[in-house]
Amino acid sequence: MEYPDKTLIRQIETLSGQGISDCYQCGRCTSGCPVVDEMDLNPRQTILLLQLGKAEEVLGSNGIWLCASCMVCGTRCPCEVDYARIAEACRAIVLRAKNSKVDPDSIKDENIEEIPQQAFVASFRKFAG
Amino acid sequence: MRYTYYPGCTLYTTARSLNDCALKVAERIGFELAEMPAWTCCGAIYNTNSDDLAASVGPVRNLARASQLGDKLVTLCAACYNVLKRTNTALNDPEKQDVAKRLLDYVEEPFERPIEVIHYLEVLRDDIGWDQIRGKVTRPLSGLKVASYYGCLMVRPPKVLQFDDPTNPMCLDDLMAAIGAEPVQFDFKTKCCGGYLVVSQHDVAVKCSRRIIDNAADYNADVLVTTCPLCHYNLDALQRDMKAEDPDFQPIPVLYFTQLLGLATGLRKRELALDYNKIDPRPVLKKVGNVS
Repeated sequence: MEYPDKTLIRQIETLSGQGISDCYQCGRCTSGCPVVDEMDLNPRQTILLLQLGKAEEVLGSNGIWLCASCMVCGTRCPCEVDYARIAEACRAIVLRAKNSKVDPDSIKDENIEEIPQQAFVASFRKFAG
Repeated sequence: MRYTYYPGCTLYTTARSLNDCALKVAERIGFELAEMPAWTCCGAIYNTNSDDLAASVGPVRNLARASQLGDKLVTLCAACYNVLKRTNTALNDPEKQDVAKRLLDYVEEPFERPIEVIHYLEVLRDDIGWDQIRGKVTRPLSGLKVASYYGCLMVRPPKVLQFDDPTNPMCLDDLMAAIGAEPVQFDFKTKCCGGYLVVSQHDVAVKCSRRIIDNAADYNADVLVTTCPLCHYNLDALQRDMKAEDPDFQPIPVLYFTQLLGLATGLRKRELALDYNKIDPRPVLKKVGNVS
């Protein structure tokens, strides 16, 4: 099978260590996802699009930015495909092109006082380029 | 018993009450947590991108330093536990030895001996035992219905963490029973609170946390307990937003498990640091006769 976005798909597979074609679309990842209601592409659809070679659509979706890395999807997957790792790889590709999704300067002072540091460190690691 | 202890950044600031109670309770129960010198941030989140070795330098360095002090490293923050334990497992993975070698060469601090990363709760459960803890209780929390919230980082990924049953963990529940409280079984003990999304997508974190609070309320919990500073923040502080959105919302106090453990083992009221809780737990603790 020839992927239209072959290079990107390979890059996602290498970064995440996950085999995109291992998924058989059962949807258990999506049934357990706590933020699925907010996603334009849910975890199952994200992997399906990657299987169809549509990496650009996935990289432009909001789903990969809503994943909180709670790891329910990967824990439940019968094929040992970890959506959270795939989302992380997709984010890295976008972020490494210098497209940050959080702006430290936009965080309100009262939130800086109050929110635990671990949230800032994690958020910048996940969402800042 | 003496353990090397890794507190982590957040336990030095917003989660001071988690740290301070834990140290005092350890003294009462009969073990010592010796803070390791020169620790640094664990990175707060485990990196999964195969080429991003820089993210692992912090946890690897902490593990190497801890290995010079003993064969166990005790953590208390759920995120530190998750990151350090997963990094430690990856370092020992026979299939990842090339990466492990590059990291160890880079940090230039040798591993003195193999080290095991454990959580404070595992010290209580596996080394001390519930019976001995029961014997230290001077103020049993009779009648207090406690929903134990584990979140994500204590139980997933289960193959690596092996902390407890990943879908129905019982460690905190058993501890609550040992100190005389009534553990409440609810559906969302391992459902995500939204975690760090609170920084960038605040409303999503409010929604995720609301679901957990509502579920605990459905089962008539008086309080929730947790061991993660970020879960604590989301579940406790975001109730302000839940109340603003819905005037009928009934707040529930959220405590660190160490605060209830401290209360039951006779720490002074001031030592419990209840002032730091956004939803004041004193009225409900008073109701069941535990706090004057």
